[in-house]
Amino acid sequence: MDSPAANAAFAKQIDIKFPLLSDMNKKMLKDYGILKGYDVQSENYQWAQRANIVIDKDGIIQHIDFDESAINPNNALSVCTDLHKKQTSK
Amino acid sequence: MQTRRAIASFLLLAALPVSLVIPARSQNTEQVTKTTLKVGDHAPDFTLLSDQWKTVKLSDFRGKKNVFLAVYVLAFTGG
Repeated sequence: MDSPAANAAFAKQIDIKFPLLSDMNKKMLKDYGILKGYDVQSENYQWAQRANIVIDKDGIIQHIDFDESAINPNNALSVCTDLHKKQTSK
Repeated sequence: MQTRRAIASFLLLAALPVSLVIPARSQNTEQVTKTTLKVGDHAPDFTLLSDQWKTVKLSDFRGKKNVFLAVYVLAFTGG
């Protein structure tokens, strides 16, 4: 799990303009059901499943991609764009 | 691009495993928690730490912004 300090260095390195967040106690990952365990040489390690999740202003999930399909963010981005169009045309 | 900036607060959750060597050698993979969330569900609230050590809650954006949450594994942040 990356610490806020590691994320800050990474954000600076590649000039990221959006917040990089850390789930240090893995609570969010558990609540969202995206924590995976791996057994390696009799030790168990846990880290996140890759995911893109779009949540609208009302807190409703509008789109989810998991694993390989979450590598490309374009589907989720187009959901964001459509969502914005709908909201601004009201 | 401006529109995109306006629409979504883009949050990236960088969740890097303890060691980058492990994935290729892992024997058994198990889902510690089952994914039950689906489109149309209420997203559970979360509190996460930003890279500026400030807490960021999903509920902070309620009624204000759509949220794009990218859970990004193996981000190679060096952490």
